[in-house]
Amino acid sequence: MRYLKLIGAFFKISSQAELAYRVNFFIRLLHSGLNLLTGVLSLVVIFNQVEVIKGWDMPAALALLGVYLLLGALRGLFIGPSLESVAGMDGEIWTGTYDFTLLRPVDQQFLISVRHWRIFALVDLAMALGLLIYALVTLGTQLTIGMLLSFTLTLLAGVILLYAALLAFSALVFWNPSFLFTWVINDLFQLARYPVGLYPGWLRLVLTWVIPVGLMTTIPAQALVGTLSPLMLLLTLAFTLAAFLGATWLFRQGLKRYTSASS
Amino acid sequence: MPEPIIQVKHLTKVYRVPERAPGLGASVRSLLKPHYSDIPAVTDISFTVEPGEIVGLIGPNGAGKTTTLKMLSGLLYPTSGDAQVAGYTPWQRQPDYLRRISMVMGNRSALNWDIPPLDSFRVLSQIYRVPPDQYRQILDELIATLDMDALLKKPVRNLSLGERMKCELVAGLLYQPDILFLDEPTLGLDVAMQRRLRTFLKTFNQQHTVTVILTSHYMADVTALCPRVMLIHHGSLIYDGALQTLAARLAPFKLVRLQFSAPVENFDDFVAQWPAVEQLPMENGLRILRVPRADVPQVTARLLESLPVADLAVEDPPIEAVIDQIYAEGVL
Amino acid sequence: MNHRGGWALIQNTWQSWIQHRGFFFLLAFGWMLPLLVYLFIWSAAASDGAIAGLTQESLAGYYLILILTNQLTYATTNWTVGDNIRYGQISRWLLQPMSPIYHALSQEIAGKVVFMLFSVPITALLALIIRPQFNLSWGQALQFLPAIVLAWGLRFFWGYWLALLAFWVTRADSLLALQDSLIFLLGGHLAPFALLPPGMQTLARLLPFRYMSAFPVEVLTGQLGVQETLTGLAIQLGWTVLAIVLYRWVWTRGIRHYEAVGG
Repeated sequence: MRYLKLIGAFFKISSQAELAYRVNFFIRLLHSGLNLLTGVLSLVVIFNQVEVIKGWDMPAALALLGVYLLLGALRGLFIGPSLESVAGMDGEIWTGTYDFTLLRPVDQQFLISVRHWRIFALVDLAMALGLLIYALVTLGTQLTIGMLLSFTLTLLAGVILLYAALLAFSALVFWNPSFLFTWVINDLFQLARYPVGLYPGWLRLVLTWVIPVGLMTTIPAQALVGTLSPLMLLLTLAFTLAAFLGATWLFRQGLKRYTSASS
Repeated sequence: MPEPIIQVKHLTKVYRVPERAPGLGASVRSLLKPHYSDIPAVTDISFTVEPGEIVGLIGPNGAGKTTTLKMLSGLLYPTSGDAQVAGYTPWQRQPDYLRRISMVMGNRSALNWDIPPLDSFRVLSQIYRVPPDQYRQILDELIATLDMDALLKKPVRNLSLGERMKCELVAGLLYQPDILFLDEPTLGLDVAMQRRLRTFLKTFNQQHTVTVILTSHYMADVTALCPRVMLIHHGSLIYDGALQTLAARLAPFKLVRLQFSAPVENFDDFVAQWPAVEQLPMENGLRILRVPRADVPQVTARLLESLPVADLAVEDPPIEAVIDQIYAEGVL
Repeated sequence: MNHRGGWALIQNTWQSWIQHRGFFFLLAFGWMLPLLVYLFIWSAAASDGAIAGLTQESLAGYYLILILTNQLTYATTNWTVGDNIRYGQISRWLLQPMSPIYHALSQEIAGKVVFMLFSVPITALLALIIRPQFNLSWGQALQFLPAIVLAWGLRFFWGYWLALLAFWVTRADSLLALQDSLIFLLGGHLAPFALLPPGMQTLARLLPFRYMSAFPVEVLTGQLGVQETLTGLAIQLGWTVLAIVLYRWVWTRGIRHYEAVGG
């Protein structure tokens, strides 16, 4: 309850700072629009040439794009800005103001994960949800409770996987402030725009079990389309749990290192 | 006699610094087999501080002041030794401990630069779980004593350095910590602002019995605020006691300032009769002599007898000069 | 014009960029990924047979070359022009006895060298894995040279005049984002020219964006006849001249405005 209240306070204060620059809202709108437009146009162009690629047709690919944009919006809403403010360029570790954060009587991981919000990312969130609903309508499949449930679960797993990946790479900054590897995750995340099955075998394996950007979007989309096997669902959930615990452990190790070696 | 609020025993911090040769090859090699060198920052420091004391931690750059402060606030693990602050071990960073301490740094900002300080304060009050009415009360008090009504609604980035420092202090004090660590709080401020902050800290300390440990480069901060100083040099605590005693021990000299009513021809020869007396460069037309404490009565008597003295004053040397001397020589 | 000063600046910039090569390798990696995505997507789409005359192998060849030429023509410096104007950096440049465009040019040249240090080996490695097919000939290579130089000039100056609008409006860099999106859609990133729907093909043929990126690759990989190549070069030259004229015009006006309002 107290932590929810704190999130509310952080959200309020971040929004206040951002709303001061009204022009940014229109810029954001332009970027979000471009993002959605290029995403949809890409599918139009591709499926204009071929009807089905390796089992994925246009509506299924649209649903996956919706999941991709949804995850991207959530990352932009708070995960990205919060972690960037600690581990990014000019972040707190870089400038030394992380000392203050470390002195706050609140759980560190919680604090650094939810501190900064970008209210304009709600525009992306709305667009992504709209696209997802449109895709569901064109898909025309009968959605069962089970499908919806597994979709919700896997979507949640996707968000946690993305968070865990960003947290793990942020934690590396404790070892060397010039590791800006969160960028690499941002770059690799673009691969999640399309079903992981479209990539060559070696890359598919890497994107599923090593850098799990494939799991983040393909699995929820499969849950919606109804092609997700129960085994894969369980594996995804287990993998997500492991990734979350692993990233948390790495972050704690980083903290320990920071407090024993910083000067 | 109350229990000491800070007890430090044999505190030592050694940094392990990786040694890396430039170039890609060398950095790959150092990844596999890193080389370290040990740099001692603080060596075997012990002291205690009573509740409500203001202690000045002084020493030249790199002496270990900030490292000590960071260990006491829980930002750093010591290599060995122990510290108990308010009954807690700082580096365990228990929330209950963190709520009782505060760290204010002159060169780093704890505030969000994009928003007015008032909003930052409110979030801090929630992080520190200050009850709303108590928050309003302490905030009103701080704002009134620091005279900062006008600053509260401007974004922090638009404030001057002095105004920002006031805000940093409020941010550090609004949850009424028992212990305040101040690291160079007056860094870069103009003289008038330095004086105001000193007055504020002194009043706040008296009204709230907060224990303060302060580091500063400005001796004026220390002389104005700290009856007790700890001098750190090369990581060791080489003096702990009253500031005046330190000055007397360090400077067994007094300064004698002289003004004559008529020109004096052979003043240099006159001074030369005491080998221990040294003539310093003139200031504003005044002659200045550095005289060993024991010789002061005899020297002044002779001066008054033999020369047309219009005015004569005997002073202690300025504390800055004394401290500079220790920093340079490194011994007591 | 002060060419010696310009050259010294180039050397200087290059040295400082080399020191931060890790950072630039990350950037280069980030630009490479979207193109790799579409390489894989179209390869998957063409796995059952050639699409519009393009086989899996020739598509791979097209995209690998595009990865390199795209980095050669991408004008990174244009993104910093706006900041330099807003934060007054430009005042310092105006005091130097040298046209400020040398600063942009020196960063351009230094950047290209650093990016290529990363991208050429990586592309070569990818070529070993993916096994693309190239139909290269000396004639095509000879036509490729003017096309790539003009593509760089057009992309640089077009972006530069857009960026210079920062003299009047904040966040003019959004126009650069728009330009990037159009290059993605029409400049052969999303799909080679031949695979675009007819409407987009017409736009691509007329607007400058294809000539900033895909056109030289089409020339080099032999996708174009002699007639098409010559028409293309003419259109490319026309747009480049227009871009330079616009740059000169906006620059003169902008400086006058800047001096009038005092920065």
